Amino acid sequence: MLAELISSQLVRTVVLGAALLGAIAGMLGAFAVLRRQSLLGDALAHAALPGVCLGFLIAGARDLGSIMAGAFFTGALAALAMMAITRTTRLKTDAALGIVLSVFFAVGVVLLTYLQGVGGAASAGLASFLFGQAAAILASDLWIMGGVGLAALALVLALWKEFKLVSFDADFARAQGLPVTALEATLTVMVALAIVVGLQLVGVVLMVALLIAPAAAARQWTDRLGVMVALSAAIGALSGAGGALVSATTRGLATGPVVVLIATAAVLVSLMLAPGRGLIWQALAARRARARITEARILRAMQELAQAHGDARYPSEQGMLAASLGQPPDPRNFAALERRGLIRAVPHPPETTRHWELTTQGHDAAAAPDAERGR
Amino acid sequence: MTSETPHEPDQALHVEDLTVSYGEATALWDIDLDIPPGVMCAIVGPNGAGKSTLIKAALGLVRPVAGHVRFLGQPVARMRGQIGYVPQRQSVDWDFPTTARDVVEMGLYRSLGWFRRPGRDARARALAALAEVDMQDYADRQISQLSGGQQQRVFLARALVQDTPILILDEPLAGVDASTEAVIMALLQRLRDEGRTVIVVHHDLTTVQSYFDWLVMLNVRIIAQGPVRDVYTPENLRAAYGRQLAMIAVPAQAT
Repeated sequence: MLAELISSQLVRTVVLGAALLGAIAGMLGAFAVLRRQSLLGDALAHAALPGVCLGFLIAGARDLGSIMAGAFFTGALAALAMMAITRTTRLKTDAALGIVLSVFFAVGVVLLTYLQGVGGAASAGLASFLFGQAAAILASDLWIMGGVGLAALALVLALWKEFKLVSFDADFARAQGLPVTALEATLTVMVALAIVVGLQLVGVVLMVALLIAPAAAARQWTDRLGVMVALSAAIGALSGAGGALVSATTRGLATGPVVVLIATAAVLVSLMLAPGRGLIWQALAARRARARITEARILRAMQELAQAHGDARYPSEQGMLAASLGQPPDPRNFAALERRGLIRAVPHPPETTRHWELTTQGHDAAAAPDAERGR
Repeated sequence: MTSETPHEPDQALHVEDLTVSYGEATALWDIDLDIPPGVMCAIVGPNGAGKSTLIKAALGLVRPVAGHVRFLGQPVARMRGQIGYVPQRQSVDWDFPTTARDVVEMGLYRSLGWFRRPGRDARARALAALAEVDMQDYADRQISQLSGGQQQRVFLARALVQDTPILILDEPLAGVDASTEAVIMALLQRLRDEGRTVIVVHHDLTTVQSYFDWLVMLNVRIIAQGPVRDVYTPENLRAAYGRQLAMIAVPAQAT
């Protein structure tokens, strides 16, 4: 089944294209996310729509070259508009983003519907740029994607330390005499290029997810920038290839949204499971810490009872411990203490409830100064 | 700004007619300032006095409306490699995926030049700089796992590794504990004793006299500047901070 799919020229092209796009977007998206510019990508993507229509108008046909040029042009215009708004007015970045995104997108939709109203059959395909249409991809488009990907990779490798410094501490970079504005502009232009090559596949509406999702997922697993960027590219590539395969095997599933859903699933899994930063990991760690504290308090209570009775091996009764702790402790706390050799269960006939006594180590642990902290 | 010949080369920092405004608000007004080489200088003033703006303008990070700045007689663009800068700790995202040593190596990027990666030599120098601030054991820690004081020390190490004759620090003692403050101040005093010029934006008036030997008092305009014993007077404090605070901050009578 899979082998049959792979042998199909179209499927191969789409899978390869989606993987390439995912890798490019993942790599550049890592920097965008770290620079807190992920939503800039969204604005750029939406602002590409009027450019797509303009490119179509000027070329008079669905010519990919002019459509991409148009998309890049209006995207750049939007970026400039945003910069102008934040620099000259009191509006903050988020408001500027919102304004630019919606205005450009509105213009794009107006142009699109107008073209569809007057235009012939060719203009009908334009709507596919909203959500992407993977099947429209040509083998020759792969060369464009590969070119953009190689250029991005070469730039990131060559300017690695400069990009890192600018992303982490732009003020310091400027004080060092680095051309910060040019470096930031380079990163933004690369993001815009990635968006432009991705429009056909994923569409203007969902493109931003491919920038943010792999980076957000990758950040969870590592504390090294290099690993994060590589991992982000890998997650992007896998989401792309996976989404293309899924939509090829199932009738009526659009590639772009499936790719985005897979990338988002990667984010969800990473947010939950990643060691250290994952929610489940943190919940488990918090539970362990709580258990340690309860266990320390049980030891303390048992020692107090032993001292009150002048008997180091005084058998403490479950109910008494519950009363002195203010709530009945979880049986698992006792089990853990028993495993660590700090307490041992003792029979205390004729009573049938459970009793424990402190071992020698248990006395030592209870007396340790930081016992409350569970050390 | 086209002076081939040095202008005021005898001053570590020379500022003339400097005015900076953000929109309608004037942050700095007509600043004339000279800091001689080899001093440990505090820049003090109330919130919003323009302390950070002053050093940012001096470093060319903020564009002034008027005025010029010279370091040892040269414009800042020619002195990039001679000035170590420690920005405010809060100015960066400490969740950035990088280690303490990596941050310190950033101080060497300029001297490495384009396209070259930091190698073994950079690594050794970064570790040495971390050791100077007592942070060698934390070299491979992710920076968000460091405490505020430790992060501040990492920032200081990044400036140290550049081995510059001039150091400019923006609130290096803000929100750090007593032991970090002691480490930082001992280090800065040693750098001063080696003949370097250390310029510190400082907020704690009670330690000005014990830590520093040169003082610039600022409140949008220059209130006073010179040796601490001449400048740290009740009149000047009142002029900079207003009446109430001056009464609290002025000790019975300083030396």
